[in-house]
Amino acid sequence: MANPVSDPSRATVQTAAAHPQPRLAVRFPGLVRRLPWLVLAVLALFPLLAPLGGLEYYVGFVRRLLIVAIAAASLNFILGYGGMAALGHAGFVGVGAYTVVALVDAGFSSAWLAWGAALLAAGLCAALIGAVSLRTRGVYFIMITLAFAQMLYYLAVSLRTYGGDDGYGLYTPLAMGAWLDGAHPDVFYWVVLGIAALVFAAFGRVAHSRFGYALRGIRDNETRMAALGYPVYRLKLAGFAAAGAVAGLAGGLLASHNAFVSPAIMHWTQSALLLVMVMLGGLGRRWGAPLGVALWLTLEEMLKLYTDYWHWPLGLLLLLVVFRAPQGLAALFERRDGHGGAR
Amino acid sequence: MSLFRAQGLVKRFGGLLAADHVDLAVEQGEIHALIGPNGAGKSTLVNLISGLLPADAGRIVLDGVDLTPLSAQQRVRHGLARCFQIASVFRSDSVRDNLLLAVQAQAGSSFRCLRRRESERALMDAAQALAERLALTEVLDRPAGVLPHGMQKRLDVALALAARPRLLLLDEPMAGMGPEDSRQMIELIESLRGEMAILLIEHDMDAVFQLAGRISVLVNGRVLTSGDAAHVRGHAEVQSVYLGTEVPA
Repeated sequence: MANPVSDPSRATVQTAAAHPQPRLAVRFPGLVRRLPWLVLAVLALFPLLAPLGGLEYYVGFVRRLLIVAIAAASLNFILGYGGMAALGHAGFVGVGAYTVVALVDAGFSSAWLAWGAALLAAGLCAALIGAVSLRTRGVYFIMITLAFAQMLYYLAVSLRTYGGDDGYGLYTPLAMGAWLDGAHPDVFYWVVLGIAALVFAAFGRVAHSRFGYALRGIRDNETRMAALGYPVYRLKLAGFAAAGAVAGLAGGLLASHNAFVSPAIMHWTQSALLLVMVMLGGLGRRWGAPLGVALWLTLEEMLKLYTDYWHWPLGLLLLLVVFRAPQGLAALFERRDGHGGAR
Repeated sequence: MSLFRAQGLVKRFGGLLAADHVDLAVEQGEIHALIGPNGAGKSTLVNLISGLLPADAGRIVLDGVDLTPLSAQQRVRHGLARCFQIASVFRSDSVRDNLLLAVQAQAGSSFRCLRRRESERALMDAAQALAERLALTEVLDRPAGVLPHGMQKRLDVALALAARPRLLLLDEPMAGMGPEDSRQMIELIESLRGEMAILLIEHDMDAVFQLAGRISVLVNGRVLTSGDAAHVRGHAEVQSVYLGTEVPA
């Protein structure tokens, strides 16, 4: 009789890579270690340098990129580290965005209050959805998270007060506080950059904490984790809710960025796009999400200049990555000892 | 009173009665072997006792506590740990990380998310002690998945021992092992005698007779008989089962 429990093939998502081939990291170890700081410095200076090259338009582009990277990083956390293949992550982005809309509609104008509320509302929503969804596995989990996200989507469509299908315009920017608002036209960019840096630092930290190790253990061998005495369900739920909260924060920021929110923000194709970007960058790798987002959005932006059929080359790129670098771009930057990228 | 008692455990898979009102008792500090031909329901029984499979009926009591309504993870907290027939380790993690994960489960909350685990001295020490006890110090930095089979099985035992169980379930610890690995595993189990009770499922009869104080024989989901080695050896039905004659159900 087959033993249904101890079969190792039941581990849902296989470990992304046991032995990555760290090409860049071997050749330039120092550079790769300092790269995140270097990138942060360049990003911080970008709004000041952009006018010199006539690139002002791209300050807004990079701001959007950073916001999407926050959302992608939260998906990477539950999917890459937690092994939870959720296909409804844009739903939580949408909950965050509509929380901002609701507060603005009710007459509130503080950005910090709105973004904080977006974080909390999406976290609460993720906790409720996770409490149900996490009782299922594999394909069923994918379908049920998708179903919940679609419910949220149609809820947004049906909300006439907030514009329904047409969306809702946020005509006056949210106030970030007296000394920030007047300081510089691009202050919102730096605020987003700061929040993104904090989010990435936090995820990096959590990955090496007890909680991070426990989540990866559940991803790799859930049965063993239960037999070791771990509260598997509660750990997954905590990770799922935290990721939903961060996605909601990204949604709140996106609402401010676009000064407009419509249900399209939480359509299921947006969830799929987030998934594609995370896989492109490297599932379960510390810098996977920002790399994937940066590559995808930059190429999209460039290709749009030349052709309306920009999906074509992006599709080819995806195929190329799947066949040539299945562990994602971030794997190229990692050292073999595993400390470079938290796996 | 026995340390552990299973009463009337029943498990059906469709029409198959994999556990047919199983009664089993394990005494304090005893090594109790469970033997039986393939398909007798031994692994099912381990899964029922450890809580990875829900029982259709019956009761499980450990040290006076009724474990029946508890989940697998809660049962570990009450002193019931297990190993797996196919070594169940975290294959892409180093042996050290495997041990840390097992130790961490017992020492405080795993919801801590800001302190780096590497900075927790107590965890590191406990993992090191476990490695020393199971002769795994040489391979601490190697991924568990590349270890030889015998070592993976030993690591599997180490993961269970981290819980400091009162009852340890060993599901065929010697399965697929060569003579040298088997000898080491027998020594290891022998060294645990008295420290905890052990329910040992094993096909290697030499090991069983060497280690076990009492032996229960499981056939077609039922306990045929329980007793010491001499009793089981002399039992007519047991002999016929192991010679391949079907026992009338």
